[in-house]
Amino acid sequence: MNKALRNPVVYVLFILPAFILFLAFFIYPVFTAINNSFTSWNGISKTVNYIGFDNYVQAFNDDAFWKSVRNNVYFILFSCLIQVPLIIIFSLLIANVKKFKGLYKTAVFMPSIMSTAVIGILWGFIYNPDFGLANEVLGLFGVSPIYWLSDKNWAMISILITNAWQWTGFYIVMVLAAILSIPKELDEAAAIDGATGVQRAMKITLPLIMPIVSVVIMLSIAGAMKAADIVLVMTKGGPAGSTDVMATYMIRYAITSFRHGFGNAIAVLIFVFTIIITVLYQVLIAKRTERIEY
Amino acid sequence: MRATKKVIPHIFLMGYLLVILYPFLFVIFSSLKTNNQDIASNPFGLPSSITFDNYVNAWVNAKISVYFFNSLYIGILAACVSILFAAMLSFAVTRMRYNKISAIVFQLILLGMLIPNNSLLLPIYGIMSKLGILDTHMALLLPYIANAIPFSVIILAAFMRSLPGEIEEAAVMDGLSSAGLFVRIIVPLTIPAIVTVFIINFLGNWNEFLLANYFLSNDALRTLPVGMVGFRDAYNTNYAQMSAGIVFSVLPVMIIYAILQEQIIEGVTAGSVKG
Repeated sequence: MNKALRNPVVYVLFILPAFILFLAFFIYPVFTAINNSFTSWNGISKTVNYIGFDNYVQAFNDDAFWKSVRNNVYFILFSCLIQVPLIIIFSLLIANVKKFKGLYKTAVFMPSIMSTAVIGILWGFIYNPDFGLANEVLGLFGVSPIYWLSDKNWAMISILITNAWQWTGFYIVMVLAAILSIPKELDEAAAIDGATGVQRAMKITLPLIMPIVSVVIMLSIAGAMKAADIVLVMTKGGPAGSTDVMATYMIRYAITSFRHGFGNAIAVLIFVFTIIITVLYQVLIAKRTERIEY
Repeated sequence: MRATKKVIPHIFLMGYLLVILYPFLFVIFSSLKTNNQDIASNPFGLPSSITFDNYVNAWVNAKISVYFFNSLYIGILAACVSILFAAMLSFAVTRMRYNKISAIVFQLILLGMLIPNNSLLLPIYGIMSKLGILDTHMALLLPYIANAIPFSVIILAAFMRSLPGEIEEAAVMDGLSSAGLFVRIIVPLTIPAIVTVFIINFLGNWNEFLLANYFLSNDALRTLPVGMVGFRDAYNTNYAQMSAGIVFSVLPVMIIYAILQEQIIEGVTAGSVKG
């Protein structure tokens, strides 16, 4: 028995392919990113100059960098303050209807399996100032045309709406699954005691789904820090850098302007900021939403 | 009173449904119109005379068939290889008797889930250019295979751990080696988890944009998302034709979703919770 399952050759052969790829594409890149972030390397030349923390100092002194950080924060705030309440309300609504439950679930989930690039193109069309859906609908109410993606006051909110349109349904389905797994007896007992639908939702269902809501927030934060393709497809960071997020700022410098060292410093900062936010969230908020057994 | 109470949630939900579905209808309607003026004069409904020219033109101009098959084969191949490697590692880690090394390997792989992958874009670009495979499909296949490994290992290892030990005892008694055990017993039993992981990996590869955009410059090698963005940039004044392109690129996913919706919803949401 043990002989067959303690075969060192087989063990190593089975582990190696995945492990080598993992080292090559996760561990090694992290160290090269850190190393290159201290250089003025352009990504091509043979000579590499180490310049200490200059790249970081420069990033911290660049207003455009802080603008991109601010836009990442907008992504996080928009999902936590606007999307999460909507997610909870709609999943409660879907959980409590008898008819069309499957239809609602299937339909709201659909955008999340589609390519962000194609959704960006689709919404670019919707935001077209002359005959896009957004202005046509608003026009019915007498609103004058808005230059969604080319007006710097509107561009960021336009992207946030598109992002929410794509991902809200995904989280609704997650929360819905949690609601439907709560034993029916709890709700029925409260109903017999005379609690109204709203009371039951607020006092029974909501506390019980807090753990999954916490996961939703965690995933939204991770998603917000990763956001890049939606911005690249819809505005390329423009107009005038008003929709840049950290990842697109990094790409602009590293690939478009050949400042590889500086780009790597931004990559390290994305990494560090993500860890800080994740840890802060876990320590400050997630700990308080304890798991409830039923 | 009770009747209105029942209707109110449906009003809100139907409103949401309209917000999700109407954009797709808008694109389908627009794709059947002749030009931008036609869209502007009648934005909401079907045109008076339907034309399918846009579909023919988009198919030719956008080379959608090329992009489509590039995406399809890269998506499937990368998903299959990462599942094979991840399953081998999961088997070694969960079923073979090297508990200490296994624990270390497994923890390291878990660490990979914490690394925000787009911050590694530049170093991976560097690796690809050192290997001299930029602008070939290998430049996408290798990172796609590697990127999917931590997630696949987590799901597959959790599943394999839950398999009862008696199965392999009986198999080993019958004279199977550990490799034989993996191929004949463990993999067939893990099929449900493998299907889930395959769907998620495939969708991730199919939709990936950043690497595909920066690692390939040859138009004939492009994947669907990048190809579509290029198509939009080239023909962005002709929205009717662009709409037809969007329909082409969305349709296959819609069809797959219509057939496999249960598995996809279950797989994607379960995966994200565990991950």
